Amino acid sequence: MGTGLSGLMAVMRKELRQTFRDRRMVAILIMAPLIQTVVLGYAVDLDVDAVPTVVCDRDQSPASRALVQEYLAGGTFRLVGRAAEPADAERWLDRGDAAVALILERGLGERLRAGQAASVQVFIDGSDSNRALVAMSASTQFFVGRAARLSQERLSWLERLQGRSLAVPRLTLEPRIMYNPRLSSPRYMVPGVAAFLLLLVTTLLTAMGIARERELGTLEQILVTPLSPMALLTGKCLPFAFLGLIDVAGLVAIGALLFDVPMRGPLWLVFAGTLVYLLTTLGIGILISTVSRTQQQAMLGALFFMLPALLLSGFATPIGNMPGWLQPITYLNPMRYFVEFMRGCLIRGSGLAELWPKLLVLLVFGLSVLGLGALRFRKRLA
Amino acid sequence: MSGAILAATDLSRRFGKIVALDGLSLSMGAGELFGLVGPDGAGKTTALRLLAGQLRPDAGSVRVMARDPVREGDAVRAELGYVPQQFSLYGDLSVQENLDFFGAMFGLNGAEVEARSEELLALTRLKPFRSRRADALSGGMYKKLSVACSLLHRPRVLLLDEPTNGVDPISRRELWQLLQRFAAQGMAVLLSTPYMDEAARCHRVGLLHRGRLVRCGPPGELRHSVGHGCYWLEDLPRQIAEEVLAQTAVLTRVPQGKRYRLLVRRDGEEALAQRVSQAGGRLTPTQPGFEDLFLLFTSEGGDGA
Ligand SMILES: Nc1ncnc2c1ncn2[C@@H]1O[C@H](COP(=O)(O)OP(=O)(O)OP(=O)(O)O)[C@@H](O)[C@H]1O
Ligand SMILES: [Mg+2]
Repeated sequence: MGTGLSGLMAVMRKELRQTFRDRRMVAILIMAPLIQTVVLGYAVDLDVDAVPTVVCDRDQSPASRALVQEYLAGGTFRLVGRAAEPADAERWLDRGDAAVALILERGLGERLRAGQAASVQVFIDGSDSNRALVAMSASTQFFVGRAARLSQERLSWLERLQGRSLAVPRLTLEPRIMYNPRLSSPRYMVPGVAAFLLLLVTTLLTAMGIARERELGTLEQILVTPLSPMALLTGKCLPFAFLGLIDVAGLVAIGALLFDVPMRGPLWLVFAGTLVYLLTTLGIGILISTVSRTQQQAMLGALFFMLPALLLSGFATPIGNMPGWLQPITYLNPMRYFVEFMRGCLIRGSGLAELWPKLLVLLVFGLSVLGLGALRFRKRLA
Repeated sequence: MSGAILAATDLSRRFGKIVALDGLSLSMGAGELFGLVGPDGAGKTTALRLLAGQLRPDAGSVRVMARDPVREGDAVRAELGYVPQQFSLYGDLSVQENLDFFGAMFGLNGAEVEARSEELLALTRLKPFRSRRADALSGGMYKKLSVACSLLHRPRVLLLDEPTNGVDPISRRELWQLLQRFAAQGMAVLLSTPYMDEAARCHRVGLLHRGRLVRCGPPGELRHSVGHGCYWLEDLPRQIAEEVLAQTAVLTRVPQGKRYRLLVRRDGEEALAQRVSQAGGRLTPTQPGFEDLFLLFTSEGGDGA
């Protein structure tokens, strides 16, 4: 008397019923889409422009005023105040009222006119590294450009004076950021948010769901029925896999409609990749449940895994920016491959031809983790 | 025994250094109501889990209708109902939903589940509560639902781990009536209990102490097998009574109000009677009960001599 398919269906039915009856679970399920919109909305703010800037112009010459005006004209910097002394400007940064301070020393205009070397100081608040990076490169670009123009003006003046042309070789840098030309973050974030959501609704909820059966003693009652442990496991995992897929679908839709995620790659590939990634997230949930006796422990265990996985996925910090010793470790993080896969598919429009290696890694991860989880689950029951 | 529905031979199980069960042998036929009696930690749960195939024995074997519950799990599970000691139903599901779920777990189809749960709800008088959440049931109702859930597949063997624990006296009696009815219908019912007074209601009783089955037999026989004198000691101030008892070889003594209940070795009866009458007290013989029998084992470290 085996209870195969009908038993599995009954477990799934029960699981969904319980999930929607449990406030804690519902909270997590509701939180998930909320997180996705909030994180994405926040990401819009990460679009770096209008960096609050304080200006300390101690020169007050026509040249210095022109410099300030042009510096602010690009839109990257937004004037929030003026300071009389550099120390004042620093206080603006300390208070967090400004993120950039532009300091022009006395005699700047004079020196430039006299053809002497002059320097300009820019203070940047580095606490938001992304913003600091953008502010720094915008400042560099601006002043390098100004410097080139000043030499050019000087040259023309010399040429006119000497009545002959002085050819000077010039090299200009024109960086262009591909695939995410506005450096707009939502498109960059969608893959990471998807990876995280799936961890939340599959790893966390599966681990807690199985631990709950153990904690509340219901596992003991189920085990005296002919339901096979694998049917039990499958029945407990499938509803969450399904909820995870729905979440990803919602996320991709929100990304495309609200945040201009380009959606270049084939949609089927997005879901195929998600399914493969789900093997890992479910497997980890099962593994965590086998070392947890209570839901509380399962929740802690899941968070214990989720946080480093998230941080080491390149979701917010590019892996190239991580400390050297940390970078190799990210190769052990399945989430990394999923984030890269999703970026490739959604943003760069890569197809299976380019992405299959990542899919393969995810598949290997998934099968091993899930297999190990199932094995441990069975063993723990014996 | 050839007609045994449930049989255990030399069943042992340890957890680390703790020997939870040490060489349990028993056998039950159809229609029998067997009580496994023992104090906390005696190994009752371990024994039941071994019988149900939920634990692997370190030594010995179990046969449920001639099958091994570990190796032929599915066949055994189809014939076996098990009511665990702890809560084991879904508290957030209703009475009916629990029945539906466990019915499906046992491979019953919708119509079968409906018919059988109807029958069991009537039997356990839980019909009015079918849509109530299981965690909102009283202790007695919860146990009855637990029993109902483990009977959906009509097992021939029913194992219950301390079914009357935490159940009010009225529900307890109702539960006992149910179990007796099941046994009368031919089911083999084995239950564990820490309450000695319940042992008398079983057809056969096994006394479990520190993992060993120290006595086993019909309750009447067991009571008579005590083999020592059982007395009430009355009319003595406590201090004097203690002095008198200290001088004689009583096996067990239990103060009950102003009296003492004593178990005395046959060869010490005369000396005790003398001392008591010298001190001005009264010694009345009485029938030994299960408590006495049990105290005898527990107080003497289980040798029960
Ligand atoms: N899973 C386990 N791991 C470790 N020790 C265990 C385990 N199960 C039982 N024991 C130990 O084995 C002994 C017998 O336990 P068991 O639960 O069988 O007793 P019990 O008679 O059911 O007691 P209770 O009346 O408390 O339910 C106890 O000392 C207990 O601590
Ligand atoms: Mg117990």
